[in-house]
Amino acid sequence: MPDQLSIFELIANASLLVQAVMAVLVLASVASWMMIFQRWFFLRKQLSEIDSFEEHFWSGIDLRKFFAELEDDDDLNGIETVFVAGFREFTRLSESGGADAEAIMQGVQRVTRVALMREEARLETHLAFLATVGSTSPYVGLFGTVWGIMNSFRSLANMSQATLASVAPGISEALVATAMGLFAAIPAVIGYNRFSARVEGLMKRYEAFSDELTTILHRAAHSKVTES
Amino acid sequence: MYALRQYSIPLLLAVIMHVGAVWTLYRGWNPEKELQNVVMPNAVVARLLVLDAKQPKVDLAAIERAKAATAAKKAAQDKAARDAAAKEKAAQDKAQLALEERAEKEKAAQDRRSQENARKERERLERMARLSDLAESSMQDAIALENAEMQSGSEAAVVQSYHAAIYDLVRRNWSRPPSARTGMSVRVQVELIPTGEVIAVTIIDSSGSTAFDRSAEHAVRRATRFDVPQENKLFEAHFRRFYILFQPEDLLR
Repeated sequence: MPDQLSIFELIANASLLVQAVMAVLVLASVASWMMIFQRWFFLRKQLSEIDSFEEHFWSGIDLRKFFAELEDDDDLNGIETVFVAGFREFTRLSESGGADAEAIMQGVQRVTRVALMREEARLETHLAFLATVGSTSPYVGLFGTVWGIMNSFRSLANMSQATLASVAPGISEALVATAMGLFAAIPAVIGYNRFSARVEGLMKRYEAFSDELTTILHRAAHSKVTES
Repeated sequence: MYALRQYSIPLLLAVIMHVGAVWTLYRGWNPEKELQNVVMPNAVVARLLVLDAKQPKVDLAAIERAKAATAAKKAAQDKAARDAAAKEKAAQDKAQLALEERAEKEKAAQDRRSQENARKERERLERMARLSDLAESSMQDAIALENAEMQSGSEAAVVQSYHAAIYDLVRRNWSRPPSARTGMSVRVQVELIPTGEVIAVTIIDSSGSTAFDRSAEHAVRRATRFDVPQENKLFEAHFRRFYILFQPEDLLR
């Protein structure tokens, strides 16, 4: 064997289109791994934050004091924004006077719902990208493979003697594209499934918390109305 | 700024991961290396095996001859001892014989024995030399035989490859008539000249169907020129005149 057929030689010898497909797949793989790492860190942080927040919230602290503490904080995220938005609306409406308990609660609910939707959007960023990479990159790789095999068979037609050695390198180099597509797709699909499940879990906790918050505020609003 | 902080570490990790993957691919990508190492020693082993098979024959003969030699030596020694004993007995019987005479006789016997031993030793050495010569020449014979076999093996492979090319060409040129059936066969003799051109096509064993016979003949004639080895000896031995058997095996009944 005069020269070892290295994978890099295969890539270098591939046709321009196959090389372009490979480049796209490598970029997709790098990007999807970047998203995976980013989401991983992000969601882990969110999880630890909601744990500490709930612990703090149910520790019997005065909610007004807690709200004042959080309002000064610029770097609000996750569950804190829901709490701050709901509580701010509550204080504003109850201080403005004219509103009765039902109107206050409606306003609070609307505001918390908006905050929840924002949070959900924030948690789900990049998941669509992962899903796209996971579902399309096998096809992109397959396209490169089909194109490469097509070319290698077409060049075979010009030869008088068809041997396995004259087709094998072309097919091998074409198959590299499929391998790359799978290499990009598998982690993306796994990451997408894992992260969407985790986002769902987080959203459940957010919703449960916002319900609890509205219950507390509801109670406060009615007691306030009966007081006055 | 926020985006940079949030994405720089993941980007770095992803790039490191891909570089690592490429590197392992680069290091671990030589699927044919081990296979090569396995194939090479086989030829050497085959060579040695043939030699080993030859050697024991030589050794056996040598051992036999050595055995015979020692037996002869032993017999001679026994005889000498017996002679000596008989002489001694005689000497004892003739006690009155002079001391000098006895001494002289003993000395003569000893001389004779030592002479005989020397001769035997010389013979043994000669035999050994002859044996080792024989072993050497047999080994060389074996190597020569081996080489010749290899030569003829490669020759057969060359002939085979040319034959395969010829059959391939003929098969491609062969269009079978509709009357062809499985089980029909026609043997055609082809004669070539050293350039590979067909000079004669003769039907040797007819199939019974004229159309089929003619299709076979046409298949050869249509090829007009075959690839043949340049070596004259090979050509004369295998391609000057050869036979092709036409059988429509792949047809349905």
